[in-house]
Amino acid sequence: MQRISLEQREDWKTQAESLGFNFHTIDDAPYWDESACYRFSLEQIENDIEDPSEEIENLCFEVVQRAINSEEILTKLAIPENFWDYIRASWFNQEKNLYGRLDFSYDGKGPAKLLEYNADTPTSLYESSAFQWLWLEQAMELDLIPKGCDQYNSIHEQLVEAFQNLHRNKDIDGKLHLASCQDAPEDEGTVRYLEECAVQAGLETSFLHMEEIGIDENGHFTDLDDMGIRTLFKLYPWEWIMTDDFGKAVPKSGVTFIEPAWKSILSNKGLLPLLWEMFEGHPNLLPAFFANDPRAADLDGGYVKKPLFSREGSNIEMVREGEQPLKIEGPYGEEGHIVQALHPLPVFEGNHTVIGSWLVASKPCGMGIREDNSPITKDSSRFLPHVIY
Amino acid sequence: MKRSKSLKLALMGASVLALSACEEPQDVAIFENVDQCSQQDGFDRSACEENMKLAQDEHLRVSPKYTSVEDCEADFGSTQCEIAPVQTSSGGSVFMPLMMGYMMGNMLSGGSRVATQPLYRSADDPKSFRTGDNQKVAGKTGISKVPANVAKAPTTKTSTVRRGGFGASAPKMSSPRRSFGG
Repeated sequence: MQRISLEQREDWKTQAESLGFNFHTIDDAPYWDESACYRFSLEQIENDIEDPSEEIENLCFEVVQRAINSEEILTKLAIPENFWDYIRASWFNQEKNLYGRLDFSYDGKGPAKLLEYNADTPTSLYESSAFQWLWLEQAMELDLIPKGCDQYNSIHEQLVEAFQNLHRNKDIDGKLHLASCQDAPEDEGTVRYLEECAVQAGLETSFLHMEEIGIDENGHFTDLDDMGIRTLFKLYPWEWIMTDDFGKAVPKSGVTFIEPAWKSILSNKGLLPLLWEMFEGHPNLLPAFFANDPRAADLDGGYVKKPLFSREGSNIEMVREGEQPLKIEGPYGEEGHIVQALHPLPVFEGNHTVIGSWLVASKPCGMGIREDNSPITKDSSRFLPHVIY
Repeated sequence: MKRSKSLKLALMGASVLALSACEEPQDVAIFENVDQCSQQDGFDRSACEENMKLAQDEHLRVSPKYTSVEDCEADFGSTQCEIAPVQTSSGGSVFMPLMMGYMMGNMLSGGSRVATQPLYRSADDPKSFRTGDNQKVAGKTGISKVPANVAKAPTTKTSTVRRGGFGASAPKMSSPRRSFGG
């Protein structure tokens, strides 16, 4: 694993904009950054990222299986009691999941350590799946990188295939509705991209904002044409659905949700202590505990404190012996915290680097890399492409 | 190779709908009644009856609903409406058009992707059969080809009583936010 400085494609911004990838720059700072790329060997990808991702996904299923049958765990995860049966049913009915991203700290040597699982509302999908792929093809064409390079990235193919399967097996029956919040252009871009994958898989689709969803007198959700919604892809966290006004109508709405409700167990930071409790010592896991667990105090060498529901690095606190604690402000944390042993991100030329390992329909199939000047990555962290050679 | 072999240039948003037109048309069979169906080559009476029953069940679910008979007749023609077996929340009658025929898969070509459903005729185009969500199917009975989306089960029109019940839990950020994901 190396960071290699590179010449940029002259017209990449024009290309990004013509493809609708408009958030390539944030407040004049680059978000898409091709002034460098990360290089991996095939062994690093397959042995250190791909295989462990598959294994962790299977461990996660064991956690779900255990959590749904334990009121104690569901309480610890701060999941409202009126959703317990609904989550159980979503698991027993094998409601299909579409995608997720495991975040790892990995420096090219030794086992990648799981930092968290964005199992419910992962973003940075388009740049991983499509724009990074395009960069590779063009960078080889322009001799910016050697011909014959590869990339760990069949995300697009896997997404289209996953939608085809959902279509064929009638998991998506009729029109697929897709929704994200108003005034969140990156989320809307991600959802629009997924909509295109669904269309390429032969599905009929319709986009709307979460705020625009209606309800009829029978408790069914409706779109802007007053048509009933049957299947809803929502880039909107389950824990917000559960506390929203319409949340209580969800269990009897008859709507199939993607991601399904059981993903709320995996996107919860409480997943990390549950994994550690069940598979303590696993090479890809870090010691982690619920904050009120006495063993949390034993984490020597520093720890990271995370709210159960935090996103994009918000409200994360990093504590290292002999140093000022580092804290990102944000709106989360009332629901409780976990602590995880500190495993700092590797630093390449002053940049702190995190690996996002993508799974589609639970199959590992690609990678996206984010960099930040600070040891905690956030929504503004730069996205850099990678190559295998 | 660890990457996608090809990638139909994936746009974020723009021109998404333009790609949906290339689906294979579906073979369907259209009949006004069971007798007509059982006279069609390759169609046996029991399958005709079974599909008629399915279409009649769907009729209750997918037919357009009206709270006045005048509105229904304006769309479907005089005496072409009936009382639906449901009521409004205040106890009023609900009206729906008469089912004028049904559509099923072509038994000779498989036709498994066709959702059996009722068909209607509207007042402004009485020669054509239309689906419950007002998509034109064909003007004649027997075997026809229709676009794939027409062969799918119609989604039902309903009446929204309220919107805006989702979204309130998104944290209020001090600065504009690009994303609520992670």
